[in-house]
Amino acid sequence: MPETVYIGPYRPQLVEPERFELLVEDGRIIDARLELGYMHRGIEKLFTTKTYMQNLALAERICGICSGIHTLCYAQTVERLMGIEVPERAKYLRCIYMELERLHSHYLWFGILAHSLHEHEAFLKIMGERERIQDLLEYLTGNRINYLINTIGGVRRDITPEKAEKIRKALRELKPLSDYIMSLLGDNGAFTKKIRGVGVLPRDKALEVGAVGPTLRGSGIVSDIRKDDPYAAYDKLDFEIIVEKDGDVWAKALVRARETYESMKIIEQALDNLPPGEIAVKPGEPKVGEEIGRTEAPRGELVYYIRSNGTNIPERVKVRTPSYANNFAILEMLRGERLENARAVIESIDPCFACTDRVTIVDTKTGKRKIVSLKQG
Amino acid sequence: MGKISVYRFLSAGCNGCDVQILECLVPRYRLANLGVEVVEKPEEANVLVLTGGVNVKGREYLLKTYEAIKPPKIVVAVGNCALTKEIFDKGYPMVGPPDQIIPVNYYIPGCPPRPQAIVKAIADILGVKIEEVEDYWQAPEGFRGKHEFDSEKCIGCGACAQICTADAIDVIDGPDKRIIRVNYGHCSFCAFCQDECPTQALRLTREYHLVTGDKERARVTNEVGLLSCAICGGVFFPEKQIDWALKRITLEKIPTYGEFSGEILDAMKVCTKCRRNIGNIRKAKGLLSKLSEKVRR
Ligand code: SF4
Ligand code: SF4
Repeated sequence: MPETVYIGPYRPQLVEPERFELLVEDGRIIDARLELGYMHRGIEKLFTTKTYMQNLALAERICGICSGIHTLCYAQTVERLMGIEVPERAKYLRCIYMELERLHSHYLWFGILAHSLHEHEAFLKIMGERERIQDLLEYLTGNRINYLINTIGGVRRDITPEKAEKIRKALRELKPLSDYIMSLLGDNGAFTKKIRGVGVLPRDKALEVGAVGPTLRGSGIVSDIRKDDPYAAYDKLDFEIIVEKDGDVWAKALVRARETYESMKIIEQALDNLPPGEIAVKPGEPKVGEEIGRTEAPRGELVYYIRSNGTNIPERVKVRTPSYANNFAILEMLRGERLENARAVIESIDPCFACTDRVTIVDTKTGKRKIVSLKQG
Repeated sequence: MGKISVYRFLSAGCNGCDVQILECLVPRYRLANLGVEVVEKPEEANVLVLTGGVNVKGREYLLKTYEAIKPPKIVVAVGNCALTKEIFDKGYPMVGPPDQIIPVNYYIPGCPPRPQAIVKAIADILGVKIEEVEDYWQAPEGFRGKHEFDSEKCIGCGACAQICTADAIDVIDGPDKRIIRVNYGHCSFCAFCQDECPTQALRLTREYHLVTGDKERARVTNEVGLLSCAICGGVFFPEKQIDWALKRITLEKIPTYGEFSGEILDAMKVCTKCRRNIGNIRKAKGLLSKLSEKVRR
């Protein structure tokens, strides 16, 4: 007798907090559905009421975790509309800031994963060590999140030699955290036991549902906008695209863990080779027309489409966030999975921290609802 | 009050505040020492922490959640979305801010507030003093916190209000003065106002402990005198802005205009309506030709 299980809707996360409706039989999920809209703020409409400059702050607030990459993707698209070339130094600085963001975002993801796997000690350790990078971002940009560091034409704050030294020091201190996470994902690691073989997204399915980022790379597909369609200074920096082939939550975790080392590599190189010069040029006039821009956000490909009618207010801004694309991968991964693994599967895509850890079960025969903890399945 | 159990609720924010709340749990803030625990069910909580500006889909859940909270049912709004909907203010699905829907006791401004601000605010609510000894309690140099006006420097031009990304700055003209009011509870802390201010009069400081029981108080204001039009007597322009513009013209840009500063000043003291008057157009034209003569020579 199949029953319906609801997760959410209070799973506050990115632009799209969700309500999952799972059809479960004998503890196994046979079908999954998704309802969105709990976080809807009408942002795309708001974009058409503000100037190009003001919209930077709005773009950033689409997501309070990877806020920087939104401003970058937006600014790059606008720069194309305006026909302006960003100074070399700004391009390197953008890479530094964005990789710092990737680090904090990936570490946060591990913190959340630890939380959802009830690994309290790991949660405290990861989140505690992660504060180093939050402190660093605050010191570099003036805010811990929503740093508004990218602007149309470049970046707003420079990295002085003194600041560069602080960054290097922080990276040295963060390496042990990445090592620790790798150990959790090792053969006998605390995470491995719980997420190995869980939520498998096979290679062909990953392509079919249009997964992006670590979710896609964890299914064995080499794809990274930083390499495929290089922006900022990524074409001048040496780094690897991390790919794992197993497709399970473990593989996706491993992709992220290994990526933290790559991010550190990128930052160190960019600091070593930081060209001299200006950090920004003045924005110009937008031409009449449309542009598309994309970047590799911590969760995958982020796309902006902007249409201009030549005024200082865009006519249309369309955003495709990576999490939106990956939501459909979650459904695929949930099908056939055991109910007790549902939470780990959902969180393998995106952080979720206020997930209430409970689900409502509707007995399809009596229509009665009962609330249970996910742990009890 | 004794032990507090916190339940978190988010509707239609960016998530930034929620990450900060999560960060409050790291050992260095010793939140547990204050007797604070975070619970997973509203029925187990006596404190409700809200983030986000609440949209149509969240409203009903907010009401239900509030109902389930145990006494004394203290509600804390964290972040400017929860105070005023901030940048999402005019978003069509928004029905908040939360205090339009349920009673809110405390407001913590910020976008997002630092975890330090949240921890301190909770300690304040509990009536516990915390020692802010560690370095991280100090916001770093360049931090974008509460605004501050240098009233000597502010000329009342309103450039800050023009550029503001979140409609957080009001320009209010009275009979003889103009008030520039920054509602930092509505602010995205982008610091564009600071960048745009022509006289560096507006600055974002490192002050970040901003918790308040009355969000109307989350404001910083400055007043400048308004001048009336030399012809019709109608109020129209900040006196200081005219002085500033005149100085820029005669001292910085084109020093040779100096001898005409009296005439230029007279011309500037005419309001936009009176400027369209034919006599004044002639007068202005005459002045302009004299000035361009000067530059040519
Ligand atoms: S106040 Fe700022 S950080 Fe908090 S949810 Fe709103 S936009 Fe995000
Ligand atoms: S920092 Fe200034 S410009 Fe930016 S939102 Fe706040 S008041 Fe407006």
